Amino acid sequence: MEKVSITIDGKPIEVEEGSYVLQAAEELGIKIPTLCYYEHMTPYAACRICSVEARDGKGWTKIVTACNYPAWDGLQIFTDTPRVITARKVNLEMLMSHCAPAPVLQELADELGVKEPRWGIGTDTCIMCGLCVRICDEVVGAHALTFSSRGIDREVSTPFKLESEDCILCGACARYCPTGHIRMTDTNGRILHSELTLGPNTAISIPFRQAIPNAPRIDPDYCIHMATGGCKLCSKVCPKECINYEDKDEFEELEIGAIIIATGFQDFDPTPMQQFGYGKYPNVLSSIEFEQMNNAASPTDGKILMENGEEPRSIAILHCIGSRDEDHHKYCSRVCCMYALKFAHLVKEKTNAEVYQLYIDMRTFGKGYEEFYQRILTEGVNVIRGKGGEIVPAPPEYSSEGNLLVRCEDTLIGKFREIPVDMVILCTALEARGDAEDIARKFNISTGADGWFIEAHPKLAPVSTTTEGVFLAGVCQGPKDIPDTVAQGTAAAAHSIRLLNMGEVLMDAAYAEIVEEFCSGCRICNGLCPYNAITFDEEKKVSEINSALCKACGTCVAACPTGAIKARHFTDDQIYAQIEGILA
Amino acid sequence: MNNNKFTSPEDLNRLRERLVKQREEGRIIITVCAGTGCLACGCEAVTAAFREALKENQLEDKVEIRTTGCHGFCERGPLVVLRPEGTFYQRVKPADAKLIVEQTIKHGKLVNKLLYRDPQTKEVIVKEDDIPFYSKQMRLIFGMNGHMDPTSINDYIALGGYQALAKALLTMTPEQVIDEVKKSGLRGRGGGGYHAGKKWASCRRAKGEPKYVICNADEGDPGAFMDRSLLEGNPHGVIEGMVIGAFAIGSHDGYVYVRNEYPLAVKNLNIAVDAAREHGFLGDNIFGSSFNFDIDVSRGGGAFVCGESTALMASLEGKIGEPRAKYVHTVDAGLWDKPSNLNNVETWANVPLIIEKGADWYSRIGTASSKGTKVFALTGKINNTGLVEVPMGITLREIIFDIGGGPPKGKKFKAVQTGGPSGGTLVVETREPKVHESLVAHGDIRDEEEVVSLLDLPVDFDELTKVGSMMGSGGMIVMDQDSCMVDVAKYFLNFLQEESCGKCTPCREGLRITLEILTRISEGKGQMEDLDTLEEISQVMIDTCLCQLGGSAPNPVLSTIRYFRQEYLAHIVEKRCPAGVCKELVSHAIDETCTGCHVCFSVCPTNAIIGQTKTLHVIDQDACIQCGACYQLCRFDSIKRVKRGEGDAIQYVAKEKWHPPVKKKAAAVA
Amino acid sequence: MTNFEPKILGILCNWCSYTGADLAGTARMKYPANMRSVRVMCSGRVDPGFIFDALRAGADGVLVCGCHPGDCHYHEGNYKCMRRIPLTKILLEDMGIDPRRLRLEWVSASEGARFQQVVTEFTEELRALGPLKLRELNFDPDHPAGGDNHVAVESAAHDELEAGH
Repeated sequence: MEKVSITIDGKPIEVEEGSYVLQAAEELGIKIPTLCYYEHMTPYAACRICSVEARDGKGWTKIVTACNYPAWDGLQIFTDTPRVITARKVNLEMLMSHCAPAPVLQELADELGVKEPRWGIGTDTCIMCGLCVRICDEVVGAHALTFSSRGIDREVSTPFKLESEDCILCGACARYCPTGHIRMTDTNGRILHSELTLGPNTAISIPFRQAIPNAPRIDPDYCIHMATGGCKLCSKVCPKECINYEDKDEFEELEIGAIIIATGFQDFDPTPMQQFGYGKYPNVLSSIEFEQMNNAASPTDGKILMENGEEPRSIAILHCIGSRDEDHHKYCSRVCCMYALKFAHLVKEKTNAEVYQLYIDMRTFGKGYEEFYQRILTEGVNVIRGKGGEIVPAPPEYSSEGNLLVRCEDTLIGKFREIPVDMVILCTALEARGDAEDIARKFNISTGADGWFIEAHPKLAPVSTTTEGVFLAGVCQGPKDIPDTVAQGTAAAAHSIRLLNMGEVLMDAAYAEIVEEFCSGCRICNGLCPYNAITFDEEKKVSEINSALCKACGTCVAACPTGAIKARHFTDDQIYAQIEGILA
Repeated sequence: MNNNKFTSPEDLNRLRERLVKQREEGRIIITVCAGTGCLACGCEAVTAAFREALKENQLEDKVEIRTTGCHGFCERGPLVVLRPEGTFYQRVKPADAKLIVEQTIKHGKLVNKLLYRDPQTKEVIVKEDDIPFYSKQMRLIFGMNGHMDPTSINDYIALGGYQALAKALLTMTPEQVIDEVKKSGLRGRGGGGYHAGKKWASCRRAKGEPKYVICNADEGDPGAFMDRSLLEGNPHGVIEGMVIGAFAIGSHDGYVYVRNEYPLAVKNLNIAVDAAREHGFLGDNIFGSSFNFDIDVSRGGGAFVCGESTALMASLEGKIGEPRAKYVHTVDAGLWDKPSNLNNVETWANVPLIIEKGADWYSRIGTASSKGTKVFALTGKINNTGLVEVPMGITLREIIFDIGGGPPKGKKFKAVQTGGPSGGTLVVETREPKVHESLVAHGDIRDEEEVVSLLDLPVDFDELTKVGSMMGSGGMIVMDQDSCMVDVAKYFLNFLQEESCGKCTPCREGLRITLEILTRISEGKGQMEDLDTLEEISQVMIDTCLCQLGGSAPNPVLSTIRYFRQEYLAHIVEKRCPAGVCKELVSHAIDETCTGCHVCFSVCPTNAIIGQTKTLHVIDQDACIQCGACYQLCRFDSIKRVKRGEGDAIQYVAKEKWHPPVKKKAAAVA
Repeated sequence: MTNFEPKILGILCNWCSYTGADLAGTARMKYPANMRSVRVMCSGRVDPGFIFDALRAGADGVLVCGCHPGDCHYHEGNYKCMRRIPLTKILLEDMGIDPRRLRLEWVSASEGARFQQVVTEFTEELRALGPLKLRELNFDPDHPAGGDNHVAVESAAHDELEAGH
């Protein structure tokens, strides 16, 4: 492209031929107001607010829109002639007579000195800037929005005003709508506790604070480009050209010296326990849902709210949901008592709600835990010894106290109780991940009956596994709280470092070897070795074992017809001797 | 199929000679106009009746019936012309067919009652060419319409069709064609009046392949129907023009964007395109040359704005028909961002003429800046409604009075509006109509009146623009004394508001606000500053609208204010409507001339008229809705339109003065 | 006879069964003390000779335990065992020894309870079968690996070879 010289308000500038006047003005720091321009979309020139006067210096003059007027050599642009000011003012006044006074219009009115629009103020919240239609069309590439009808009836809608199949729910239209005409709503503005998420709500984010590398990555589930092939805004704004859309998850082979398995747990799903009505009554929450709502970064800004957006009047916290339960998990999940007490504390801190704790046994075994429990008791939390039995909708006579009724047996007073509450929190069990079995098989370790990984020794080797160099950390080994997890993780790290720092690997003394004189060269052993450790020496006509590869399983030893293979530490003689000794 | 293809001009000439010979064998040809106007008047039944009559008289072999395109004189349809004599029969009914066959064809006698009688001179005119409506015209591109069946390519060839194409393709280079068009001074007939040759040249120069040639047949102006008539009556002329244009520009793909509301035009055009393709005028290797070109017919969805070139192209692409800024011209980046040359139907139809007869011949017609002829659709309050083709530079007076025959019923001509809804209204005479004195302006306003007579304005592109209107596509709406200029402006603004695409603020909102203000004025609620506001909005719209629909939309307002300011002032200051049209400002009243004929009584929709036969009738002022039905109907001009609120006074006087109309009645009977 | 306590030799693989047994121990699960175990790295290490030797040396039954199929620490050692044990049973039968005195079981590291159950069951079964009386079978315990036996074991090894290829 050739460079051309133009002037804007007398200031000269060199720009590429055909580039738009608005961009040149921006470079010069001359502000031209606009309502429908966005740098990453084709100029639409619908609002006409960016009108400027173009002259050629020979008498020709014309009002043009700066956002899409191409520069040519000798072009003179004037942004503040009376004709331009009138054009902008009148256009804004006309727009205001149709549209509700959105802040973006009000600001512009102040800027242009429009005090009272002559033709009144309208009610339509849409200013027809077309940003939404264009972003959907050009940037997102979903083509889900369009203008329908014409003239004064013109409006933004999906084709035929039907729910669009092409909409990918990216929210770009709402994000770029300058007046709030387009909004993202969930179903009727209700708060769906099960859908509140804490995660980053943009497609590009650093996954978590401690991530390594500590760099942003694109979440393909939310990336518009991945969904439609459009957008690519990030690559347009990244000055270092770091965006790589081609990057994919890939398999890499790493040579490592130790493995720490820290796969954690999954939440017990209380839905099958129908007596608690989870999934049926909107205000029955699992503990993690409550935790998410409670977070300051949650969509409710950390407020404790019911589905209808109101603050609950009372909350029941039910312990041991799925834990210590013959029908589900027999073990104690260990962490629930303490977080339930924390919940009670937070509810008391944030709301005026009554809190009921329904527990089987209060297990506050850690350092400082019992003290915390005692403090909660002084905060006026109702503590009831007895497991919650059933949750039903509260009959009308309880409506002043709560919408739900928790039935339980208070074992201390030996009475059956019905407690009306607005919200119920189920302290669900920690359970082994569904894919723990697969992981166990991959690393040659074992899982227990509950699915937790088994340590090499419950007392003496709680971090190691039966596979050398593979260590366990955290809840994947069994329920534990944060201090315990940190301790185990640290231990696993220390074990790993020890292995890595040794530099040389201590080989197990147990491996098999072939006594050359006895080997007949039958090669039966060759095919049996799972580690391909046995090779045949063509010259000597005997088989040989690579002792570094041998894992000492002894399969070859048992198969050798001439008894030429000896398993060190497990030789035939040794075993026969053992047998002899045992049976003597 | 290939047998029909012409590969050389000699083939074409041979066929033409054969066809001409056939035609000259002395057969009588009955041409029945089958243009839309005549179709609406029942010409199909007339054609059938002719067939029947010929059969009865066993003349089928000697006489040919030809249903042709529009002859232009729609006011008098259905039209029948007997050729080669040129005997002209008008308003022919099916029953008349037998009469014509038996009298004229068999015995050479004229059927008097069907002949044209000049309304002014009362003189009977027999030949088509002698009728003033035709004789004052210069029917270059419409000329063939009356002589050919639009569905027959042979008719077109016999009349010299596709000769220009052969000439251009085989004897000229594309540059020569463009030079010829440039020299001819042909300007786009779609409204803008841009020089066609220049446009072609820049499209040829433009970088990018393929290039497109587009024919704009999305004629949406109310009252304009010349493109329609051309496509219906002579589609081959347009096709030939497009092929020549494509050859000159270097395009191989053409589109005709035609209104779907023109079913006959679509049908005839498709027939013609197929026939042209069959004969090798379209397709590959036209006339045996290496030039390939074909045309797609695309039907529009009925939006007025799609007549705007960029909106039309958007619509062709399958997008919403919305204009875009034309800072980059469509000849550089038009359809699918490729160089595109768009001209309207009439422009294309002029091309074969220029090539065939030469630029020198063509440029002799018209004025210095506007060459050739222009077709106008003459409508409104005029005797001879229809299509007229006149040389550029003819005066409005000639068009309106000599050809159009002036306003009907001897009413006074008031103004003419040219250039479609976005055009301007030109005053040519002020009025001294038969309006009740309560409606006549008071002295102070009268003094300010400025009578601008533009009747002798030579009609061409630049002259019309100079006086605040435009050529547009050639609509010409004539208004007489009964037209209120505020109402006229309101009507056009209403049309434009409904047709505005709504994309840009000034057009969408400006039209709405303008219309609101005009409505307020017509209701007598106007303020003096409204006029300034209207002018201010109009100027902003002209400056800032995205496309020409919006940019020219204020024309009706500005031109009516410019030429009829006093009428606006009458509405605003005196709260009266001089023409008696604006309902809110008018009262209807019956004066003493009432004969008691009782006709008005039966027509009143609200039973506001009270009175027995042969007694003075009175309009109940409270019940009257000012619909004007009685006013239109009264043969005695007894119903008066007066300033709102003054009706009772008139009727009071009438009661005093009225006496049974003995004499008058007798006179009426006599 | 009622006081007969069978002697059982357990041959346990290091990774699953031995750990399982360990688990049973740490979990304080009680199983009959009749069984004494020998640890091998893999059930694939179990030489039929061990079994014959054990029976010769006075065992009333032999229990071989390995990882569940598919779970072998050495990928497929337990499959080898799975082939050898039935062959060994045929040999035992030929020798006139009830093949029920040899048992192969899969016990994983987490199946302490299963280990307890298997041992208990096997002990009960052997108790019912009574003591193994090799002399009655005209068997010379001092020369356990007679020529015939060698041939049988070798042929079994050959079968295995063919199956392996």
